[in-house]
Amino acid sequence: MKFRTFAAFVGPSVFMMVVFIALPLASVFVQSFQVTQPVIERIEVESCTAGFLEQTCTTQVKTRPKINESGQVETTTRWVGLESYANLLQFDRVWAAISNGEPGRILQIDFWRALRFTLTFTLVTLPLVVGLGLAIALAVNNAARSIRGQVIFVSLLPFIITPVIGALSIRWLFYGDGIVTSWLETWLSTDISVAANGAAVEALMMFYRVWSVAPFAFVIFYAGLQTVNQDTLESAIIDGASRWQRLRFVIVPHLMPLIVFIALIHLMDAYRAFEEVVGFSSQAQRITLQWLTYDFLQPDDAGNRSISRASASAMLTMIGIVIILLPPLRRTWRDHKGIS
Amino acid sequence: MATPKAMRQPASLRFGSAAFLTLWCLIAAFPLFWILVMSFKSPADAFDANPLAVIFGPRTIAAGKGLSVIDLVLGLAVLWYAVRFAFTRLPQMVRAFTAPGLVILGWLVGCLGYAVVFIVLFFGLLPVVLDALNAIAGPLGQPVIGLTAEHYRAVWVGNEFYRNFINSLIVTGGVVTVSLTVGTLAGYGLARSGSNLAFWLLIAALIFRALPHSVLVAGYLPVFINSAEILRPILGDAAPTLYGQPLAVIAVLVAINQPFTIWMLRSFFQSIPVELDEAARVDGCTHLQAFRRVIMPVMWPGVITTGLFSFLLGYNDFLVTSLLLDAQNQTMVPAIAGYFNRETTTTDQAEAIAAAVSITAPLFLLVMVFQRQIVSGLTAGAVKG
Amino acid sequence: MKIPLVLAATAMLMGGAARADCAFENDVDVKILAAAFEAWKAVTDAMAECGNVQAELDQEFRTKQPAAFAANPSLYQIGGVSNGTITPLLNEGTIRPLDDLVEKYGQHLQPNQLIRINGEIMAVAMMVNTFELTYRSDLFEEYGIDVPTDYDGLLAAAETLKDAEGIDYPLGAMTKSGWDLAMEFINVFQSSGEPLVNDDSTPNINNETGMNTLELLKALSDYMDPEFLVSDSTYVQQQLQQGRIAMANIWASRAGAVDNEAESSVVGKVETAMSPIAPFGDRPVATIWWDGIVIARNISDEAAEAAFRVAMEGMDTEMVEANNDAAVWLIQGYEPGRLAQGAIATATHDPAPLSYPSTVEMGLMHTALGNEVAAYLTGSRSAERTLDAIEASYSTAAREAGVLN
Repeated sequence: MKFRTFAAFVGPSVFMMVVFIALPLASVFVQSFQVTQPVIERIEVESCTAGFLEQTCTTQVKTRPKINESGQVETTTRWVGLESYANLLQFDRVWAAISNGEPGRILQIDFWRALRFTLTFTLVTLPLVVGLGLAIALAVNNAARSIRGQVIFVSLLPFIITPVIGALSIRWLFYGDGIVTSWLETWLSTDISVAANGAAVEALMMFYRVWSVAPFAFVIFYAGLQTVNQDTLESAIIDGASRWQRLRFVIVPHLMPLIVFIALIHLMDAYRAFEEVVGFSSQAQRITLQWLTYDFLQPDDAGNRSISRASASAMLTMIGIVIILLPPLRRTWRDHKGIS
Repeated sequence: MATPKAMRQPASLRFGSAAFLTLWCLIAAFPLFWILVMSFKSPADAFDANPLAVIFGPRTIAAGKGLSVIDLVLGLAVLWYAVRFAFTRLPQMVRAFTAPGLVILGWLVGCLGYAVVFIVLFFGLLPVVLDALNAIAGPLGQPVIGLTAEHYRAVWVGNEFYRNFINSLIVTGGVVTVSLTVGTLAGYGLARSGSNLAFWLLIAALIFRALPHSVLVAGYLPVFINSAEILRPILGDAAPTLYGQPLAVIAVLVAINQPFTIWMLRSFFQSIPVELDEAARVDGCTHLQAFRRVIMPVMWPGVITTGLFSFLLGYNDFLVTSLLLDAQNQTMVPAIAGYFNRETTTTDQAEAIAAAVSITAPLFLLVMVFQRQIVSGLTAGAVKG
Repeated sequence: MKIPLVLAATAMLMGGAARADCAFENDVDVKILAAAFEAWKAVTDAMAECGNVQAELDQEFRTKQPAAFAANPSLYQIGGVSNGTITPLLNEGTIRPLDDLVEKYGQHLQPNQLIRINGEIMAVAMMVNTFELTYRSDLFEEYGIDVPTDYDGLLAAAETLKDAEGIDYPLGAMTKSGWDLAMEFINVFQSSGEPLVNDDSTPNINNETGMNTLELLKALSDYMDPEFLVSDSTYVQQQLQQGRIAMANIWASRAGAVDNEAESSVVGKVETAMSPIAPFGDRPVATIWWDGIVIARNISDEAAEAAFRVAMEGMDTEMVEANNDAAVWLIQGYEPGRLAQGAIATATHDPAPLSYPSTVEMGLMHTALGNEVAAYLTGSRSAERTLDAIEASYSTAAREAGVLN
């Protein structure tokens, strides 16, 4: 294919990605090395604020941004190098924790806490998603044809449902006096408070993720199972391979590209998990990297947002994803070289 | 075809596999089933700790909203026949009454007509008949299960949820159409080009996909709000304010979804033999003509599957739509999230559940209709690489 | 009376002839952006009666408002703000002084409603919101407990009610990690009358008051649902309605729901009283907030005039009479209901609770508290180190925002 034709085909897609992803990404990259601040002035302000019966007026020194002639806030932008990254990573506190012999304290720094949970979350859910997806696919493939349609339909539900709603539907079963918690309480006759227990919240968040992503893995694997070479299977049977060996040496290798595909997608999505924190209100117990970025960007009442730290945190998240993706990417590269 | 002996499964394996599937289906469906039950109860019942109270809804009955045994039996029977009809007679009728070229139109008319008839029968005629029956049936006519549709009425009529529904349709429709048009071309180009540039584009797309959305979205807001000012030098007074425009949100969602779309479609196109379009090119077609004449007719399974994923993304999106749309153009998901902020009441939450079920219903239908295509589309190629 | 919130956020009356309820016919497009709660719903509905009014009660208004008002022309003419959220608009100069307009159309306003900054009227308040002790009067009577006026009394009452019939936990509190928890900390801290941030923008929490505040929060949490870190005001409201808690110091705007017969099983059994005073302070554990309207600067004077007139129609006596219990209104015609008594007692106590400071630093401090306090309450960090962490977190953010060197 000539370059011009290729460009014509790919052009619109690349244009959209450049405008809406690459340019913002570039600006995030730049902003992570910059700090933009308003020029601050301190002035005495008399402000009167409403009470129930009468006003209270106070005179206070307030910090206010300077406004220039055109009515805009005057700002300065400084290059700060890696300062925003340092603010995020807080190596001084990390070293202090290590030299005091209390490495557990590292996990009280937001970034490391988020990283610890995000990594655990990603790596624990990965085998569960692949395993459960494969198990369902095999079981469905094994089921009578007449019920397959319905089973596939039910299995897909957790995947298609709006994530916020899915998370809430599970949250209501467990939080407070949710019916599952109440049932467990009667059964074990103890008082259970899921949301008060970090480990329980963590488990619940993982459960939700596996619940909602396993169907995707399932449907991909199930499609893959339809194309398993029957001749190979039959010759394996003739060779006396057991059921387990057939699974291990024929089916799994056939599905291997799909397993890599699922793993790739899942690693990416789990590493930037976000809905779980919001859905399960877990910020006191567990936070993820994307939630940390989001939190930096949420303005407070006074309109402040930490754009620089958010940018740094986003860049670190990206770097993390690229590192996690390296092994599967190397494989893709080899495939590419093999084809062309 | 007789199953070879070695392929036949021992009873224990069959039983185990069936038990596992049952358990999975239970886990998969239960949370959703439960919110469906909750959505029909009074707020006090819906959040009760006792599951039986949630199912039977004593306080809902006390408020005079309940179903008797007769209601249940007749209602379920009507529902059952309605579903049966939709899957058997309706397709037949559509086929019988429409000209071959107008199948889509036929389906549209058929579905609309079906919906109207169903609503009139189920919500108009049935309650009248049941009221009359309950009045003369004695104990069978007493309500046994609390059930109220008041939350649905509050959501759809009182809160004008249909506005959000229409907005969701616009955004989702736009996302699917644009995403597929742009993505199909790119996917084809990438599949047929073995160049390093193509490879690096794919890798770049993969990394783009990994970017946390919250960063992107927060970056759009100031630009979108000030776009009229920014674009004025180029476009003059016609420069639009992008904030609040469904079109702008569609563009953003399409871009966010492009990486996944082009990866899916590329591997799908790779599974279509190159010989096909090469033959067309030998006959004197350009690449674009070859694409239109030879590839387009065979690409639909893959495109439908990819389209479904685009649909899910557009329909379920929260981050982008909540921030970049104003209230007039608000879609359903952010509208629901609004129920759960600091200033809500238990009734609001019960209504939110009804709204959540309403959101889920179209997804249900979609998967029901396209389920076979998802699997066959994936089987046909999208899963091969 | 059910007031739908967000989904009905769009109240539009297109091109309409003014209804009898509105004194004039508005023919200029007026858009308003405000937070989504019942009082705003009532006010914007009343505004919409004048025609051509479009109200957006949006969850993301904190994010959208500063940017939308900074655009030229501003995307909204009227903004709904509180003493917290007015700060960015004030600082960036995107709202206009209202003195002329008040003189022309606002003669009926109470002096208390006019929010003046350096003598200029920048906003018109419609309601105040504060905290009140909401308690089960039936249980208090049964156990012979006097309504506590300080937190020692509150803790003693909680101890007595621990095993009361039907009560899971004697105490409820809005302590969801993040904004709510920080609010709770600020309320308790400010009972001492000290500011959380000094005039030179340095933090003032790493001291005895800060320590006492944390310890009091911890002591309270022993009587609360162990899931208190996900407990927001909706949750507390539900617990009260279901009779699972005996008392809580909550937003005045949330107390009314206990008398909602559709949701509550304790109708008529709940009374309100002044927020108790912390053992180390002399003011009720509360902050005073107001909500009101501002008018954008980047719009034409005609549009501003129309917007202001519409706003005045929304904030009139008629509206208050129709929605008397939706808020503690500052508008003429308001008759405090039974469940507003506590809020009024809180607000009129001498010395009065401080109002929430509208400063840049307070926003930063609020965020820092919201992120760091939870670790102490879960027991994963000591009080000293939590205060250090709050201070460090605040200082980093303040340096990034440029208010601290």
